Amino acid sequence: MRISRRVFAAAAAAVVLMPLSACGSGGDDGGSTDASGKVEGDITFQTWNLRANFKSYFEGVVSGFEKKYPGTHVKWIDQPAEGYADKISADAAGGTLPDVVNVSPDLVAPLAKAGLALDLDKAAAKYKSEYLPGAWASHQIPGMTGTYAFPWYLNTGPLFYNKSLFKQAGLDPDQPPTTYDELFADALQLAQKTDGKVATLANVPTVEDFGRYGVELMNKAGTAFAFNDAKGIELLTKYKELYDAKALDPQALTATPESSGKKFLTGAVAMNPGSALDLDNFKKQAPTLYKNIGITDQITSTGHVNMYVMGVMVNSKTKHTAASVAFAHYVTDAQQQMSFAKKVAIFPSTAGSLDDPYFTKEDGTDETRVRIAAAKSLKNAVNYTPVLFSEQMKTALRNEVAKALQGKESPKTALDNAVKQCDTLLQQQG
Amino acid sequence: MALSTVSRVRRQLPTSPWLFAAPGLLITGVFILYPFGSTLANAFTDRRTLIPGHFVGFANFRELWHDDMFWTGLRNSTLYIVGVVPALVVLPLLLALLVQKNIPGITFFRSAFYTPVVASIVVVGLIWVWLLDERGLVNSLLETIGVGRIGFLSDQWLLLFSAMAVTVWKGLGYYMIIYLAALANVPRELHEAASVDGAGAIRRFFTVTVPAVRSTMVLVGALSSVAAFKVFSEVYLMAGPSGGPAGEDTTLVMLVQRTGTGLTGRVGYASALSVVVFVVTVALMLLVLRADRREDA
Repeated sequence: MRISRRVFAAAAAAVVLMPLSACGSGGDDGGSTDASGKVEGDITFQTWNLRANFKSYFEGVVSGFEKKYPGTHVKWIDQPAEGYADKISADAAGGTLPDVVNVSPDLVAPLAKAGLALDLDKAAAKYKSEYLPGAWASHQIPGMTGTYAFPWYLNTGPLFYNKSLFKQAGLDPDQPPTTYDELFADALQLAQKTDGKVATLANVPTVEDFGRYGVELMNKAGTAFAFNDAKGIELLTKYKELYDAKALDPQALTATPESSGKKFLTGAVAMNPGSALDLDNFKKQAPTLYKNIGITDQITSTGHVNMYVMGVMVNSKTKHTAASVAFAHYVTDAQQQMSFAKKVAIFPSTAGSLDDPYFTKEDGTDETRVRIAAAKSLKNAVNYTPVLFSEQMKTALRNEVAKALQGKESPKTALDNAVKQCDTLLQQQG
Repeated sequence: MALSTVSRVRRQLPTSPWLFAAPGLLITGVFILYPFGSTLANAFTDRRTLIPGHFVGFANFRELWHDDMFWTGLRNSTLYIVGVVPALVVLPLLLALLVQKNIPGITFFRSAFYTPVVASIVVVGLIWVWLLDERGLVNSLLETIGVGRIGFLSDQWLLLFSAMAVTVWKGLGYYMIIYLAALANVPRELHEAASVDGAGAIRRFFTVTVPAVRSTMVLVGALSSVAAFKVFSEVYLMAGPSGGPAGEDTTLVMLVQRTGTGLTGRVGYASALSVVVFVVTVALMLLVLRADRREDA
């Protein structure tokens, strides 16, 4: 059998042209939004870096569900934190997205737009009243109707500060800043007294910081960004002053939450946002810091602290809609969330759960104090990160903020540019 | 009978090479040709991670021409070649000359120089980040001797040069091994004859060693320039995902990764960037080979 040049050329052309066929519109071979059928079948549930610490908890959840609904089988898979979005996008593009997926609002937005997330306002409306209204709304996408994930656990945290560094700078360690003006004044004093060796903050302002400062992040319709208003420029100008005075760490321009956490541990920065989870970390990794740790509320000009929301999404293409919706609800119901909250410092998104004595009754320990304060603030907390704010937009904002801090652009120009780039990316999202 | 066997064998012969090559061809087709064709096709579409694209002609290429970040990436990737390649062509040769001699304990040094090659780039990157941190070992030493702290990881140029230093440090051992193999083939008589003629060590290096390993130097130059142009890990680990202060340390491959990945990734645009990286890389190889041929002539 001789392979002729013509056949070879045809094969080569196919190799080049075949991918073009993938550019057509995708077919719809998915399941239905009707979740009223019998709860049965094999489904897959994917979590986000939870196996290492909560294996037995999730095995219990899975076996509890299978016992409640005979004829179901749940395969639990867990993905590492690093590259989680990439893993989901690969699965989504390859048609192998699990039936039930642990997501955050910014992850669910593109999946919903691509028609891969089930609209729970249609498929699971009866469960809506079980959750805090704000939490339920956190998986709604501007420009779309519907809700695309069950709210799962919430998190927020205090602002930790190093009392010993405050003392060295002549600041009262028992009077931490409570407003932005106080924060900026204290930060400048701390930098001045330590000759710029100790910074107060380790991160450049993010979109959440702009939100907490009272900046309007998007227009009302959610069709364009608006954080280049006078308030946004004011915040960035203040940060520029801090950067020039070394009150903002010089490496803040390239910092990640992990690297700034390490800087706080080593006493290179005086304040860092965190959660109740961090206290244990301080105890183990920096006992000296733990002895000098100060805990204060998040600083906000709006009266609402920032919260992070986790959700559980149902794949709209699942072949077992009833079982998937039932399982997603089971994982996020009040009983399971309360049980999970007692294992780790997270907060339930179910109505009434935050009034449980576990979140209201003091026992004299720091952990409980932080937990109670966080639970209290969560009742009117806001998820400031717009659900349409993608990773590319975060990078665009971060780079423009860096230019302003370095003095390469004025704060106004930098924010105007950032808004322009984010708007372009928003339009490209479709 | 015999005749028919011969004719059967003759008829079958053309098939056999293809059958032997089939596994390799299959792997090449699936993992190289198909992705290559796919990238080429996507470069002319506005495809996104979850949204099938439409044909947009050269729009992606026109956009990257006006994209400041593309030019930043191209500048940094080119600078990486300029900074890294000469060092990786010369230093491993000197290192190979040092460890070439069979003296007691030399195996230890050979292994020591090769260790960075086998170390994970992530581990290496993190170690260097700790070393060069504002409060790291290097800055502590500099402060002790009165130089003061240097912002290796906060200044855009120092950051890029630090990443280059890590690339050179990590690559030395690998290219040293290639040079050791080449040096083993240099006839000892040439050195002896040059010595008899009164040539010193430096003269012998330039008149005997360098001409003898010249083709290896070209190979090392080609390999290291392609690797340098496609640099990702070192800069990503040291400058962070945003590519250093204001993204000024972004390389082309980092830009491909940042643009094309994630749920909102612009696959079409990232593919156009990849095509540019491919074209430049091929051009670079051709340039090196052409230079080699010209010298041979």
